Formats: sequence, structure tokens, C-alpha cells
Amino acid sequence: MLQGLENTAIIAVAGLVLGFVIGCLLATFKLLPGKKFWARLPGRFTDLYVALFRGTPMVVQLLILHFVLFPALGVDIPSVAEAVLAFGMNSGAYVSEIMRGGILSVDKGQTEAGRAIGFGYGRTMLKIVLPQAVKNVIPTLGNEFVALVKETSVVSFIAVIDLTKAFQNIGNSTYEYIVPYLMLAAIYLVIVLGITGLVKLAERRLRAGDRN
Amino acid sequence: MIEIKNVYKNFGSLKVLKAVSLTIQKGEKVAIIGPSGSGKSTLLRCMNLLEEPTYGEVWLDGKLVTPVDPYLHPDIIAESKTFKKLLAQAKEASPKASEKALAEEIIARIKKEDLLKKHEGSSFAQKSRALYKENIIPINLARRRMGMVFQNVNLFNNMNVLENLITAPVSLKLKTKEEATETALRLLDRIGLKEKVNEYPSKLSGGQRQRIAIVRSLCMSPEYMLFDEPTSALDPEMVGEVLELMKELALDGMTMAIVTHEMGFAREVATRVVFMDGGQIAEEGTPEEIFGAPKNERLKDFLSKVL
Ligand SMILES: Nc1ncnc2c1ncn2[C@@H]1O[C@H](COP(=O)(O)OP(=O)(O)O)[C@@H](O)[C@H]1O
Ligand SMILES: [Mg+2]
Repeated sequence: MLQGLENTAIIAVAGLVLGFVIGCLLATFKLLPGKKFWARLPGRFTDLYVALFRGTPMVVQLLILHFVLFPALGVDIPSVAEAVLAFGMNSGAYVSEIMRGGILSVDKGQTEAGRAIGFGYGRTMLKIVLPQAVKNVIPTLGNEFVALVKETSVVSFIAVIDLTKAFQNIGNSTYEYIVPYLMLAAIYLVIVLGITGLVKLAERRLRAGDRN
Repeated sequence: MIEIKNVYKNFGSLKVLKAVSLTIQKGEKVAIIGPSGSGKSTLLRCMNLLEEPTYGEVWLDGKLVTPVDPYLHPDIIAESKTFKKLLAQAKEASPKASEKALAEEIIARIKKEDLLKKHEGSSFAQKSRALYKENIIPINLARRRMGMVFQNVNLFNNMNVLENLITAPVSLKLKTKEEATETALRLLDRIGLKEKVNEYPSKLSGGQRQRIAIVRSLCMSPEYMLFDEPTSALDPEMVGEVLELMKELALDGMTMAIVTHEMGFAREVATRVVFMDGGQIAEEGTPEEIFGAPKNERLKDFLSKVL
């Protein structure tokens, strides 16, 4: 059971971190200035990526990664790492949409001031725009994180023991289902409430520097 | 020296700048005045390429900031397919005329009628590229030498005052953190805002913010400062402190281009005043000439409204 909790936590946290990085990159690609064909390629890549990952169920992505892609590429890594990758890539698609909204909500003057002082596009994004964008979308990112935690239960499809699987096993070996499953629900609830609390805290801390 | 050569700027079908040429010498303080919508901000923003001119070039101390505009270079036009075709036709039509005269005529016509196409052959492209490569200054380097102050201030909202001042010089490796902090504190002290060093922009008054934005630019040790109506968004009681700081900068010998509606300030501080109207420089001269003896009707009209 502890093993299950640990795996769930690893997959959710590492998945979200990876998803966050991927999402920021994708959103930045999408918002690259320039109208020339090559300047828009990264944006097209984002479109394709988002369409693929949002258009197919998480379980299917996980199964493809585990049974098709990695065997074909000859990659052999622990199933937990596979799950992290799959969740990271999947949540990257969602986070990129969230971040895009967040970036667009940052005053254009901030970018201009960054560029005018001699920062390149990347540095302006990293140092000035993204921090403000993240602050603006923390509540939404929090929701995404909660969804991710709950969705991690599908990893048992590739034989990773997560929280749900652990409790299923308890149920199966004791023929006692009511208590383990209610406990399982309670644990998820505690985790989610914990995250929500953290998000609220982060929000308040970040708002401290804000107007009023 | 900032040289603006025959700059045009279109936003879609809207022609915002039309054939603007302006040279700002080291040490000059050029005030740019004119009615709202006349293209003052756009002109300023073309200098540091926040807007890319549709035609024309901007040079900074003999280095090219914008892409090459072939229309400004007869020797490049002469490499174009269009030119070669027209020259051949002209020679056929009047075999006796001197080739040099014909060539000049055709170049003038190509310029006037905007005849260059997207692809004008490899020797044309090569010549443009060679000129570009020889003279280009990377835009981020150019911008470090031209500080810009915005109407709506644009301090970095995610950083406190000190971070606003030192982030650029430190992360661009122009100064160590210690050096940058020392400079920042010295400048803050000078404008009497040293105790605000750890505040966030949202906790400051408009005037304090704008003065810190000016200091933020100064921390990059720029040679030029571009001001786009730095006091227009401020409460009236805060205008004075910002103008005072700009005056000090001017006295220190900073080269400045200042878009402003503060005619008193322009008169007192500017070495030259440029009046823009309808995307063109309608009149320019010393403050005495512009304010004392305006010639252009639109300028007279404008001054009667703002003075
Ligand atoms: N990014 C832009 N896109 C479209 N039109 C613009 C843009 N920037 C400025 N304009 C237009 O160009 C004209 C000149 O603007 P501007 O240079 O800001 O004038 P000024 O600073 O003299 O008031 C205005 O009509 C304005 O609406
Ligand atoms: Mg303006």
C-alpha cells in the first residue's frame, strides 16, 4: 500500500513537473512572433501535439507508449518512469493551453520592456513573462494537477502498483471490499484537498507582491 | 548617432510613417511633438526596432539596425533583374543616349514606382546580403545602447525594485551582481528612493515607478535614451519629479529623443524640436524657431491648442 502511495505520488508530481516544462515550451512555441513559414513551424508542432494528446484517451497513450513505442525503440526503463513520461507528455498538452492563456493575459508592455532592455525572446519569456503567466494561472494549474493525481489510477494497465491497484490487491486477497475502497477514496480526497490547500497558499503568497 | 533614413511604416493599409528621415547626433536632446496619432511613438519604436520599418533603414553609430532597404542603395538596385530588363529596353528604344543617364533615370523610376519584386536574382540578393553582413549590429546589442522609457512605465511586475534594476545587466553578464547592485543603489539614492529597494512596483506611486523605470534603463549604461511620453499617464502632481530627473539626465550630457506633450519641458531642455503630422516631419528647428516663429500652419494650429 505504501508502495502504491509512493508510486502515485511520484507519477503525479514528476508528471506535473514534466508536463509543466513541456507545456511552457509548447506555449512559447505557439506564441513565437514572426510570420515566415519557418518561424511558424514550432507553433504548428504545438497544434499537432495538443491535438494528438487531447484527442486520445490517456489510457491509450499509456498503452501505446508501453506496448508499441518503447519496445519498437528498444527502450527499457522502469514502468514507473514510463508512466511519468506518459503523464508528463499528456499533461504538457493541457498545460500548454493553460499557459498560452496565462501568457496572453500578461500585459504586452512587459514583453516590450524586456526586449527594449536587450533581452532576447527566450530570456524575456523566462525571466519576465512566464513568472507572471504562472501566477495568473495557478488556480487552473492546480485543477490540472488534481485531475492528474486522480487519473494516475490508469497506470495499473502497465502493471505499475499505484494507490488504486494496491487497494484492489488488498480487496482481492481479503475478500473485503467496502473498507479498502472507502479508505482509498478517503486517501485520494485527502491528497486532493492537500493540493488544493497548497495551491491556495501559493496563490496568496504570490498575490502578496500584487496590486493591493 | 542615430540615423533614420527614409523610413516608412505601414500597419496593413494604414500608412503611419511616410518617408521620415532624422539624424540624432551624440549629445542632442530632440523633442518630438505633434498631435496624437501622428506617428511619434511609431517613429521612436522604429529606432530600437520594436517596430520594423516597412521601408527605410535605421543606423546606430554607423551600424545597421534594420534590414537593408535596397531602395536606398542605387548599386544594389542596379543588380536587380527589373533594372537590367528596363535598361535593355531603354537602350533599344534610344540607342544613342548615354548608358549612365539611362541607368540613373531607371533607378529613379524604380524608386518612385516601387518596382522591385521579391526575387530579383542572385547578384541582387548577394549584394544586399553582403551589405547587411558587413554592417549589421545584432538588435539586442543595439537595444542595450538605447534605453527606452514607456508611457505606461512597464516595470517588471514580478520583480522588486532592486531586481528590476539589476536583472538585465547581471543576466546579460555586463556586470557582476555586486557591481550592478552598487550602481542600482547609487542611482536609487540619487533619486531619493533608496528605501524602496525591496518594494514591488505595485506598492509605488506612478511618479516613483517612472523614475525607477528611467533608472532601470540607466543601469544598462546606455548612450541614448528614448522617451515615449513618460509623463502622460501620470497624475499631474507627479509629472514634475519625472521631468526633473530627465532634466538632470540632459545636463549630464545624455543623448535623448523625447516624445512629449510637455511643451515647457521641450522648450527648456530640447536642443532641437521635431513636429510630426500625418506620419511626416512637418517642421523641425530649435525650440526658439518652433515655439517662437512656427511656419507650418498645422504646427501653428497645434501650438495654439497645447500652449
Ligand atoms: N501595432 C499597431 N497596429 C496597428 N496600428 C497601429 C499600431 N501602432 C500604432 N498604430 C496606429 O498608427 C497611428 C500612429 O500611432 P502612434 O505612432 O502611436 O501615434 P502617436 O504616438 O503620435 O500618438 C495611429 O493611428 C495608431 O492607431
Ligand atoms: Mg504615442
